Amino acid sequence: MPLRPVEFHILLALAGEERHGYAILQEVAALTDGAIELEPGTLYRALHRMLRDGWVVESARRPAADVDDERRRYYRIAPAGRRVASAEAERLLRLVTVARANRLLSHA
Amino acid sequence: MPDLSHRSGDAAKADGRRLAWWLVCAYPPRFRRDLGLSLVDTLDDRMRARRAAGASAVRVAMAATLDTLRNAPAEWIREVRFTPDGTYERARRRSMLDKLRQDLRYALRLWARRPAVVLVAILTLALGIGANTAMFSIVNAVLLRPLPYADADRLLAVWGRTPTTPRSLISYDEYTAIRDQRDVFEAAALWLGQSVNLTGVKEPQRLLGNFVSGSFFQVLQLKAERGRLFDESETVPGAAKTVAVLSHAFWQRQFNSDADIIGKAVTLNGAPLTVVGVLQMPYDPEHSGVDAWISYDVFIPLGLFPTPPGVPRATLNASPSMVGLARLARGSQVAAANAALDVISRRIGASSPPGAQHGRTTFTLLAHDDLVGEARTPLLLLLASVGCVLLIACLNISNLLLARAVDRQREIALRAALGASRAAVVRQLALEALLLAAVATTAGLVIGRWTLRALVSMKPASVSMPDAIPLDGHVLLFALAVAAFCAIVSGLAPALRALRSDLVGGLQGGRRTTGGGSRVRDGFVVAQIALCLGLTTVSALLTQSLLAQQRVSVGFDVHNVFTLQFRLPATKYRRPEDIARFFEQAITRVRAVPGVESAALARRIPMSGNWGETPFVPEGQIVAKGSEPRAGQNYITPDYFTSMRIPLARGRDFTDRDSLTAPPVVVINETLARTIWPGADPIGKRITVPDFHDPATVIGVVGDVKHRTPTEPAQSQLYLSHYQTPAIFTSLVARTGVPPLGLTRDIRQAIWAVDRDQPMWSIASLEAIVEGAHGSARFLATLLAIFAGVALLLAAVGIYGVMSYAVTERTHEIGIRMALGASALHVRREIVWRGLKMTAIAVAIGIPAAIGLARFARGTLYAVSPADPATLGGSATLLALVALAASYVPARRASRVDPVVALAEE
Repeated sequence: MPLRPVEFHILLALAGEERHGYAILQEVAALTDGAIELEPGTLYRALHRMLRDGWVVESARRPAADVDDERRRYYRIAPAGRRVASAEAERLLRLVTVARANRLLSHA
Repeated sequence: MPDLSHRSGDAAKADGRRLAWWLVCAYPPRFRRDLGLSLVDTLDDRMRARRAAGASAVRVAMAATLDTLRNAPAEWIREVRFTPDGTYERARRRSMLDKLRQDLRYALRLWARRPAVVLVAILTLALGIGANTAMFSIVNAVLLRPLPYADADRLLAVWGRTPTTPRSLISYDEYTAIRDQRDVFEAAALWLGQSVNLTGVKEPQRLLGNFVSGSFFQVLQLKAERGRLFDESETVPGAAKTVAVLSHAFWQRQFNSDADIIGKAVTLNGAPLTVVGVLQMPYDPEHSGVDAWISYDVFIPLGLFPTPPGVPRATLNASPSMVGLARLARGSQVAAANAALDVISRRIGASSPPGAQHGRTTFTLLAHDDLVGEARTPLLLLLASVGCVLLIACLNISNLLLARAVDRQREIALRAALGASRAAVVRQLALEALLLAAVATTAGLVIGRWTLRALVSMKPASVSMPDAIPLDGHVLLFALAVAAFCAIVSGLAPALRALRSDLVGGLQGGRRTTGGGSRVRDGFVVAQIALCLGLTTVSALLTQSLLAQQRVSVGFDVHNVFTLQFRLPATKYRRPEDIARFFEQAITRVRAVPGVESAALARRIPMSGNWGETPFVPEGQIVAKGSEPRAGQNYITPDYFTSMRIPLARGRDFTDRDSLTAPPVVVINETLARTIWPGADPIGKRITVPDFHDPATVIGVVGDVKHRTPTEPAQSQLYLSHYQTPAIFTSLVARTGVPPLGLTRDIRQAIWAVDRDQPMWSIASLEAIVEGAHGSARFLATLLAIFAGVALLLAAVGIYGVMSYAVTERTHEIGIRMALGASALHVRREIVWRGLKMTAIAVAIGIPAAIGLARFARGTLYAVSPADPATLGGSATLLALVALAASYVPARRASRVDPVVALAEE
C-alpha cells in the first residue's frame, strides 16, 4: 500500500522522539528545510487515521516538567508505524538507487 | 477589516484561541471528541508563531480558515463513508441533526449497494427536469415575458384588412383618425422599417432605417440619451423637417460615441439630415427577443419616406403604406379599441371615392400577441411534449421507487418491530426521496443549461428568440417540486401500508405477498407507453411534413444562383430613365464577370420575404373598382426566367426592347392563364394593371413559382418588364458556373463600376434563401424528434424495470414451475407476453391521445393528415418492438432460473 507523503513525514518526525501536535509541524518543517509546511487540520486528519490504524499511539510519558504543558497530548510511533515507515524508506531507497544508476543525481 | 495589531497581546491571544475553537467546530463530532482539543492547541500555536514571525492577523486567520475549509469537509465525507463503531452510537444522546445524518448515511449506503438502480433513477429525473426547464425557459422568454417597454400590456399593433389580405398596412389618413380617438387610444404612431443608404462616409453603407411619426417615441415611452427626439409636427408628410435620431448602437459603431454628434449632418438616401438626438435603449438588446420597432440604426420622420414621383399627396396619404402602433388608454379594452376602429373604417370608407376602399377595415390586437404570432403553436407543442417527457420521467421514477419500497416492506416491518417509531421510518424514506430529487435536480440543472445553449444555437434566423436566455428559476423549482413529490409519494406509500398492517404479517410475508403494488406499476407503464406513443406520432408526422415540404418543387432551380439586393437613392435617380440606365449598365457589367452565365434583376426574389400583389382586369371583363382579382406580381429584366430556370411554356421572354417607350407587355404564369382564359391561347390577349395607362399585352406564359413559402398553393402570378417599370429597390440574380458566393467580390465591383456609392446587402445564394424557408419546420421537427427519442428511452427503461422486477419477485414461483416441467421457452413467452399486453392496452389508449396532440399541431403540418394511419401504425409498431426488447432481457433471465437455487432462496 502506498504511503501518503503526509503520513510518511509525520512518522519520520515521530521516529526520533515523541512529540505534541505543534512540535510535529515544526519537526516536519525542519526535516524538509522548510519546504513542507503542514497545516494543523491536515496533520490531525492524518493523525486520526494513523491512530485508528495503530501506526501511532498517544504517549503517557512526558518530558521534563519544566518544558511540559499539561494539557498537551504527545504522540509516539507504534511498531506498526515503524514497519510502514521503514518499508516506505526502503522503497524510496530502491528508487534512489535506480535514479543514481541512471545518472539522475548530480552528486554521488 | 479591524486591525488587531494595536490591541493588547492578551486580547489578541484570546481572539486567536476563540477562532481556533470555532474552526474546530466545523469537524465531525467524533473527530472533535478524539482530537478536537489538541487541534485547537495546535491551530493556536501555529497562529501565534506566524504572528510572531510578523504576519498580519488577517493573513494568519485566513490561513487557519483555509486549512479548515480544506480538511473539515473531507473528514465529514470519510465519516459518512465508513460505518461508525457501535460504541459511539450508544454513548451519545442523539440530536435531530445526528439522526438526520444517520439517515443520510443509511441512504447513501443503500445507494452504494444498488448503484445501477439509483443511477437510472437520477438520470431519468435529471433528463425530465433538465429538458423541461430549458424548454420552458424558451417558451417563457418568447411567449410569456412581457415586452421590455413601460406598461407593455397596453401596447397595440394596428393593421388593415381587406377581403383578400388578412393583414395589411394602414394609411396616414387612417392613422390620423385613430390618433384622434383619445378615449380609447392614449397615443398612436406609424412606423415602417426600410433600408436607407448612408453615403458621404468612407464606404457607402446600407442602414436599417425606421421611418416614424413623432408620436412613435411617445407610444413606446422612449427617451433621448443625448439631444432630443423629434415630435409629431416635424414628421408630417409634406412638411417634414430634415432631422434624424440615431440609435445608441449605431452612434457607438459609426461615430465612436462622438459627444458632439448633435447638430452634425448625415447623408441618408442622398439627402443631408441633421442629427438631433441619440435614442436611449430602454432594455438590454441581448436579453430580449424583440426585434420590432427600435432595433434600427436610425429614425427618420415618416414625411421623408421615399415616394414615387408625381403622385398627389392626398393619394399617398390614403394609400396603406405603414405599420400602426398604439397605446391603449388606461382602463380601456382591446375590444373597445376594435369597436372604435370599425367606426373609423366605416367613416373613411364612406368619404372616399366609391370602390377605392372596398371592404377595407382596420383592427388591433395586443402587440405582444402580434409579435409572437406564428411561433405560438410550435412552442406550445414543444411545451406539451416536454411536459410529456417530465410526466414519463416521473412515472418511471415512481415505478422504480415503488418497486424498491415494496421490496423493503419486510425491512421496514423489522425496523418497526425493533422499536423504530413510525416517524423515524417515514423520515428515513422521505429523506432518501429528497436526496434523490436533490441530486437529480443538480444534474438536471447541468443538462438544462446545456440543452438551452444547444437549442438557442440551433434555432434558425426565422425564429424570433433572444440570443441569451437565462434558465428560469421558477421552472426549475417547479420541476424539482414535481420530482420530489413523485419520489416521496411513491417512496412512502408502500412503507406506510407496511406500517399500518400488522407487523407479524409483514415479517412473515416475504416476497410472495407483495403482488398488490404490481397493478399500480403496470398502470404506470401503460401510461408511459401511451404518452410516448403520442410523442413519437407527432414527431413522425412533423418529420414527414418536413420531408414533404422539401420534396415540393418550388418551380425554379435553386442551385448556383447568386443574389443580392440594393436600393438606389431616389435623390440621385429621379427619373425612370435614370434608373433604367443604371439597370442596363449594371447587368451588362455583371454578365461580363467571369463565372457568371446569365444575370437579371428582379424586384422580388422568391422566399426572400419580398412579396407584392396587384389587382388586374382581363380585357373584355367589367369589374367594379376595388373588387378586381389579384395576382402575385414581380418586376423582372430579360433573362430572369433563364437565370432562375423557370420554364417558358409559350410565347417569349422580355427583351431589352420592352422599354419605357415600347408598348406595355406582361408575362403570366400557367395558373393565371388557366384561371382567366381556360382552354384559350393567352398570347396576344390584354390585361389592365395599375402600372400602365394602356392595357398590357400578354407575350408569354411561364411555369408556376412558389413565392412566399414552399408550401403555398399555386398562385396566379404576373410579371412586368422592369425596364418599363423601373423602381429604386431591386435585387440581382445571377446564374453562375461556379459556387455562387465565390463571385461576391467581382459582382460587387461590377456594380460599383457603375456607381461607386451604391451599397448592396442580403448577399446570399438562392439555395440558402430557400433553405432558410425550411428553417422553422426543421427546428421544430428536430426538437420533437429529440424529445420523442428521450421519451422512448425512458419508456424502455420503465418497461425493463417493471419486467425485471416482476421476474425477481417471481423467481421462487418460476423455480417451482420449472421444477414441475415448464420449459424455458414457455416461461420466456409468458413474460414477453405480459409486456406486449401492456403495450397493446397502451396503444389503444395512446392512439386517440396521439391524434388529439397531432390535431393541435395541424397548423404546422403539411401534406400529412393528423390521423395518418401509416404513421400511427408505424409508431405503435416501434413501441411494440421497444417493449418486446425491454421485456426480452428479463424474460431470458427468468428462463435461466435454476429451480434448485430459486427454491433454496427462502
